[in-house]
Amino acid sequence: MHRDSQEILSRPLRIVVTIVLVIFVLVPIVYTLLLSVTPDSEIGSGDLIPTQWAFGNYIQMWTTVSLAQGIFNSLVISGIASAIAVILAVGAAYIITRFRFRLRLPYLYALIGLQTVPSVMLLLPLFVLFASIQAALHFRLVGTYQAVIITYLTFALPFATWLMVSYLGSIPLDLEEAALVDGATRLQALWRVIVPLALPGVVVALVFAFLTGWNDVLFASVLTAPETRTVAVQLQAFSAGQEGGSLPLYGQLMGASVVSALPVVILYMIFQRYLIGGLTAGAVKG
Amino acid sequence: MWPSVFLLVVIIGIPFLIALYISFLNLDQYTLRSWIHAPWVGISNYVSALTAGNVIGASTLTSLGVSVGFSLLTTLCITPIGILAALTVNTQYRGRAIIRALYLVPYVIPTFVTALVWRMMFLNRTGLVDIVLAGIHVASINTYWLLGPNSFWAMVIADVWASWAFIYMMVLAGLQSISGDLYDAAEVDGANAWQKLTRVVLPQLRHILGLALLLSTLNHFNNFTLPFVMFGTPPPVQADVLPLNIYVSSFQLFNFGLGGAMSVITLVLMLIPGLFYIRTLHLGEVMAS
Repeated sequence: MHRDSQEILSRPLRIVVTIVLVIFVLVPIVYTLLLSVTPDSEIGSGDLIPTQWAFGNYIQMWTTVSLAQGIFNSLVISGIASAIAVILAVGAAYIITRFRFRLRLPYLYALIGLQTVPSVMLLLPLFVLFASIQAALHFRLVGTYQAVIITYLTFALPFATWLMVSYLGSIPLDLEEAALVDGATRLQALWRVIVPLALPGVVVALVFAFLTGWNDVLFASVLTAPETRTVAVQLQAFSAGQEGGSLPLYGQLMGASVVSALPVVILYMIFQRYLIGGLTAGAVKG
Repeated sequence: MWPSVFLLVVIIGIPFLIALYISFLNLDQYTLRSWIHAPWVGISNYVSALTAGNVIGASTLTSLGVSVGFSLLTTLCITPIGILAALTVNTQYRGRAIIRALYLVPYVIPTFVTALVWRMMFLNRTGLVDIVLAGIHVASINTYWLLGPNSFWAMVIADVWASWAFIYMMVLAGLQSISGDLYDAAEVDGANAWQKLTRVVLPQLRHILGLALLLSTLNHFNNFTLPFVMFGTPPPVQADVLPLNIYVSSFQLFNFGLGGAMSVITLVLMLIPGLFYIRTLHLGEVMAS
């Protein structure tokens, strides 16, 4: 058989390295799945395989924590934030890639620059701003969906715009020019020609913007009230509440972890091909 | 370059100015409502940030040391893992798609779940790490990974597990852009695998790898969720990274002035690698084409 000249690890070496990596990846995952079906009374015993399976953990956990409420809040907050971010990003990216104006490059630099700002640095000023708006205008802001959505937009928007710029930049001008000649308005050209062509980019931006919200603990833990808590904050609070108790409910905690991680993993697997492009797009473009 | 730097400063400017103003105030939950009129205390927040820190945790300097050590060490660990992993899937073979998907799983699991999983792994006496290490007589079953000096290593191990796929993806993207001719030429010249790696592949990956290392260091420096969920608050001093310290000072001790001072210090420090990152991108060339 012809030996591939790109081969750097010989076959046996490659197999050994792959097996080691796969084990490294799988051990914590399998352990988590195992714990999620272990009765809480057996987790302290030190045996890995439980004497009986506690699939009930996956049922009890919905009443132990308000998991459904948390998932619903996460879906609403992340869903709205990502939809707004992507709609605005497509518009901004269209203007950046189709029109030449003086501040175009500075704007792009600012988009990237924003991503290097530590998020914890934004939290304090935003919180103080929200608190003083509340005090001045006499309505509640901290603890509402709106406060969290606005906050997520501050970093979902720059990233989504940056992604869309790199996608729209690769779509040739001829296509929309043809549409414009045929009498379409700019908006129609954008909606009927550009958006369908840039659909993979739109999906990537949507997924990433969504996950920014789903995965966040920092902002949500400060800006949500008990009834608007996202699933991330609920799990964090659930975990913190297990310390000092008589019998920690680790089985249910791991079950809830599995349930909140699984949709994300599935989402990635479905869109894997596009998402890897998105993950490296910011960098590879240079 | 200069107009862009100017605009960047303006956009970060508004929150930064608020943080800067707060950092000179004695601001707590009682004075927050009318924070503009809170008592002015000059640089005393900075003095206490650099000397004492908050009452339950580490000082800013200690946290800075933890953060720098943590971000550099994890980046250093994940780089060889990521490169090796990319090399295992660079050639065609059956089942490669499954391996590629599997490699990504730890990276895509939400950080709060990763933190919970590794908290269970490192749990004293009952966690898998203690059980295995005690089973093979390497360490005591009471190693206490989540307390004291060991917590730093627990955090590093958990983060390495979660983030090595970032380097892997960047390297893989870089590998795919290397022309096959280069390998063939090296083959003709009689290069062995090691020479191919060090003379052909790594020099070609220089640019993208540099970028990956920079981004990885930035991301790890800003990682708040992992130590926050893994250790709870207050965290062990050895795992009290800067973002966590700011959070605890501001939102659990309600010393907003101190938190503001720490935020300002962090931002100034992050501007250095941030500007480096922007310079490496050469946006002008991309957009001109």
